[in-house]
Amino acid sequence: MEPMEDHTYSVSEITRLLKKSIEGNPEFTSVWVKGELSNVTYHSSGHIYFTLKDEQAVLSSAFFKYANKSLSFRLEEGMSVLTLGSFTVYEKRGNYQFIVTQMRLEGIGELLKRIEQLKKRLLEEGALDAARKKEKPFLPRRIGVVTSPTGAAIRDIIKVAMRRFPNIEIVLAPARVQGTDAVASIVRGIEELGRPVHSIDLIICGRGGGSFEDLMPFNEEPVVRAILASRVPVISAVGHQIDHPLSDDAADYSAPTPSAAAEIAVPVKSELVEEIDYLFIRAQTALAARMTRVAERLSGIAALRCFRNPREIVAMRELELVDLEQRISGTLKDRVAAGRQGLLALPDLYRLWRSEARERRSRLDVAWGAVEKLSPRGVLARGYSLATDERGRIIKSIRTVSPGGSIGVMVADGSMGCTVNTIQREVHGGKENAGEGEAKL
Amino acid sequence: MEKKTPAKGKPSFEKALGELEKIAERLEDGSLGLEESIAEFERGSRLARYCREKLDEAERRIEILQKGKDGAVEKRAVRVKPDTGEIDDDEDLQGSLL
Repeated sequence: MEPMEDHTYSVSEITRLLKKSIEGNPEFTSVWVKGELSNVTYHSSGHIYFTLKDEQAVLSSAFFKYANKSLSFRLEEGMSVLTLGSFTVYEKRGNYQFIVTQMRLEGIGELLKRIEQLKKRLLEEGALDAARKKEKPFLPRRIGVVTSPTGAAIRDIIKVAMRRFPNIEIVLAPARVQGTDAVASIVRGIEELGRPVHSIDLIICGRGGGSFEDLMPFNEEPVVRAILASRVPVISAVGHQIDHPLSDDAADYSAPTPSAAAEIAVPVKSELVEEIDYLFIRAQTALAARMTRVAERLSGIAALRCFRNPREIVAMRELELVDLEQRISGTLKDRVAAGRQGLLALPDLYRLWRSEARERRSRLDVAWGAVEKLSPRGVLARGYSLATDERGRIIKSIRTVSPGGSIGVMVADGSMGCTVNTIQREVHGGKENAGEGEAKL
Repeated sequence: MEKKTPAKGKPSFEKALGELEKIAERLEDGSLGLEESIAEFERGSRLARYCREKLDEAERRIEILQKGKDGAVEKRAVRVKPDTGEIDDDEDLQGSLL
């Protein structure tokens, strides 16, 4: 066939025609193409270039920045993908290109199957048994976190943890949570934080929410195994709505978000302080009540008539006896005399009561001593006062003061300067005057 | 459940708090003698102090691990606002262990 003048195209003319016919053809517009990725190049401009291929053909493709922004996984060589796009002809190079607008991982079904199989294996091994779970410390001092240093997860964890427990210690093992080396990097973080040198007592491992592909590293066997093998208890904290990742099953605790994990990990310090104070006050109140009961019993004993004046009773009975003796016949005399002997034994009983009372009294002193030691303010509030000498030392004996001397008296709401007028020595519950009057302001 | 033995035979915070609660209950039920009551109270008082000390043990430190030049792991401080826990400088949160 001979060339024909009016049917000869320039290169650009024919290329333009080709372009028009391809780009204008609905069959080459918005089509789904499946294939394997190769020659993946992440360009600094944000565009991604790659070749889609199968056994017989290759397709040069571009995934521009505006379209790949929402991509939830990193493209890797050999990945099977489904792509949606349209064809264009690049005149300057004389080639056609597939311009991708959406991409999905092909074979999500396969991934799910793989996860299922791993879970089944772990269950059979007994690796997920509740009995194997480690208990987290009630009060962790130093928490390790395995997550991305640039994500929101670590920021949320720090904020929540510090709000609950302002002096908490947190150590971050920076990890990549998606992409090629995510698995290796998470495993490395868990292992590193488990080293005793870091003194970590609880690990939070996770990331914020994402697509199924995003969360995939937390379903991978090495990550699951690292969590199972951790010496330190682990909280899995992978943001998810429906399906939880296998890391949740493997970990000792799991939380639906990183913030929730921080709440599980860290108690609220102010509540613990309140709890301690509450229990201490309960113990203090109970002890005070116990001592009040002893004091009441003691004053009850002291109020008994025989205790107040036993000799009076004995004397009265003796009078009655004498009267009887005078009125009854001599034959009863012996029996009455025996009864008299019995009654005369009363002073012994009196002595017994007295020593009992003295003993209780000294025990009470010990009790008050204990309370004073622990809470002098509390004792003052109950109406007691505390006397100190000129040098501020507590006066424990009258031997350390002299009449005319100055002393300080402390009560619950303040103190007074006083002058000693008289001194009295305490003798077995009674008083022996060594002077007169009372201390006076 | 695994090892939960805090240093040198000291009870854990949780255990000490539980003991304190038991002491409060025993004192409240009033069955103890006076001397025992006092001894129990003194023990409770020591436990309460111990618990408070435990709460103040940690030192509010946020750190990030880094792979150092010779491959050894190094620690670096992460500066945060003490009241809100917000990160002072995002530059502090960078790097990797790999």
